[in-house]
Amino acid sequence: MLKVCHLYPDLLNLYGDRGNVMAYVRRCQWRGIEVEVHRINLGDPVDFREMDFLFLGGGSDREQNLMAKDLENRRELLQAAVEDGLVVLAICGGYQLLGKYYRTLEGHVIPGLGLLDFYTEAGRERMIGNVVVELEIEGENVRVTGFENHAGRTFLGQISPLGRVLVGYGNNGEDGTEGARYKNVFCSYLHGPLLPKNPRLTDHLISLALMRRGLPAELAPLDDRLERVAAEVMLKRLLE
Amino acid sequence: MAFRLRLIIAILVAKAIMWLVRLLGRGKGSSLPGMVALKICPGILGCLARQASRGVVMVTGTNGKTTTNNMIARVVREAGYRVVVNAEGANLITGVTTAFLKAASLSGRVDCDYALLEVDEASFPRVTRQVYPNIVVITNFFRDQLDRYGELDKTISLIREALVQLPGTGLVLNADDPLVAPLATSTGKEAFYYGLGEHHQVASFSAAAREGRFCPHCGRELFYAYYHYSQLGNYRCPGCGFSRPLADVEGTEVSQGDHRITCRLRSPAGSHELVIPVPGLYNLYNGLAAFSAGLSLGVEPGVIIGALAGYTPATGRMERFLYRDKPVLLNLVKNPTGFNEGLGALLSLPGPVDVLIAINDNDADGRDISWLWDVDFEVLEEHHHRLNSLVCTGQRGAEMAVRLKYAGVPLDKVVVENMHRAVEHVLNGSGNTAYLLATYTALWPLERILSGYAKRESRVESLPSVS
Repeated sequence: MLKVCHLYPDLLNLYGDRGNVMAYVRRCQWRGIEVEVHRINLGDPVDFREMDFLFLGGGSDREQNLMAKDLENRRELLQAAVEDGLVVLAICGGYQLLGKYYRTLEGHVIPGLGLLDFYTEAGRERMIGNVVVELEIEGENVRVTGFENHAGRTFLGQISPLGRVLVGYGNNGEDGTEGARYKNVFCSYLHGPLLPKNPRLTDHLISLALMRRGLPAELAPLDDRLERVAAEVMLKRLLE
Repeated sequence: MAFRLRLIIAILVAKAIMWLVRLLGRGKGSSLPGMVALKICPGILGCLARQASRGVVMVTGTNGKTTTNNMIARVVREAGYRVVVNAEGANLITGVTTAFLKAASLSGRVDCDYALLEVDEASFPRVTRQVYPNIVVITNFFRDQLDRYGELDKTISLIREALVQLPGTGLVLNADDPLVAPLATSTGKEAFYYGLGEHHQVASFSAAAREGRFCPHCGRELFYAYYHYSQLGNYRCPGCGFSRPLADVEGTEVSQGDHRITCRLRSPAGSHELVIPVPGLYNLYNGLAAFSAGLSLGVEPGVIIGALAGYTPATGRMERFLYRDKPVLLNLVKNPTGFNEGLGALLSLPGPVDVLIAINDNDADGRDISWLWDVDFEVLEEHHHRLNSLVCTGQRGAEMAVRLKYAGVPLDKVVVENMHRAVEHVLNGSGNTAYLLATYTALWPLERILSGYAKRESRVESLPSVS
């Protein structure tokens, strides 16, 4: 049994990011792995250490402020769970929030949760468009596609990126990095949503969660032909 | 004199383009003439629009603009007025300008009583800098093509700022939308509200695409006595007391069936039976908006009711075709709320149904298609026995199929095809009805292919173009 924690599902529902939770859950269920989804809204109690996969999306400014305040109260519990190997996927606004701070155009510094070593600065132009990123999953290079739409430029400290940008802007449009990875925390700017479009990555996140519980992490293969065809369409369009 | 000269040249060039476009049969030319005319004579729109002798009505909002505006046009025509209307869904400043250019004489005269304009939300500030609207109808605010418009809050605040610059403009507002209703107070304007009262079809579903569930004033979660769909319903903020305003025009006793929707209507003009000859709760809202606009313009309620009962939908707004004896329905989808409503209408059909979904990702469709994951395709899982096949097509057809897979639709019913074969597939399916849903730029090629096989039931004289 894996426990999936969907943080602020009612608040953060921009850009179809809930699809990440759907993909994670379905791919477990299709293999007979039992899943329990906990939808955690503002103020709801939750013990992160008991969770197996945590998803944090992004929202509009107003919603993001509400979420940041609530999450600040949970900082220590979340940090303990992250250090303990909790599998986390954070997208866009949720990603930015895990870092040290966000500096607005006016120079105002909004502190983040400081769980990961990076910071974000607002830029004048939004970075919008289709993306291709190459990342390494269990020693294998995998190309994932998605769509980015962010004004913040993220700069990594002593921490690895999730992948290398082949097409698009990525973290900041300058250094060719996309997203961040720390222990079992995966951060990315890619909407799409990321997981259903990229089953290889989804399965990796499922395996990591099973490993953390000491369960066999070998996953039965699924029929992913539709996902492959859809990805090929975009890889062909963007890389040629 | 210089302005006159530029104006005349702009009209001549625009008319020449319209003529050429028609001659070449390329597109419908509902944006290009306006674009060129505005380049030659930037003030042309204001100059032409001022000639509408009784004034201008604008319709803006996320969903239902085209239908509402065409309904208002029908009402006003029925009342005996001459109108200029951008009936073709070209609702950027270029499309609005083209509508006036079509009606203008070579000397720049526009002979009409009313101009009825649907205006894109993001273009609203730009259009109202040139055209003064006497009445602005606002239908609803849902998430729509975020990569073009930025976030919804920003769009609403731009419309609010533009309204403040328009002294004396009256508002017709959807009382049931907590994002629309506050625009009267926040702009200090007079408003006429329309809405739906409680009725037996009132839903507690639609948790998914709710956009305005937090109080626009204080940020607290809104409390709902009931929902109609998405965030539309009877809401109240437990924090600051913000609540649904009393509707001046209110529909109750809603009933749907046989490709129409009806309700009992209460308004300052008395009580009436409203019949809208297209299905879907959202079309009832469009009808209520048009009724309210008609009343605001002083049209007799009996005339309005009669005009709305004879409404025929524009292309892609639940348009009906016949293939052999099978009904074929074509519907435009552009955001989660509209798509959910489209799925609701699909499931209200007597099954089994063959479904085609065409998804493109050009600028006019929205380049980011991740909104498909905010559509509740999960309803198809429980009702899949009533679906004969689901054929996905368009530039992102394969990704649409992935969405259906994760919604739990049986994979053996899902097919990915090119557009031509996709149309053949659904037409020749064994279902009772073929139901087609398409994004903006997929609609026209689909419509063209479909016309080669099936007979159109409701004829429209001109077709929208992609702007």
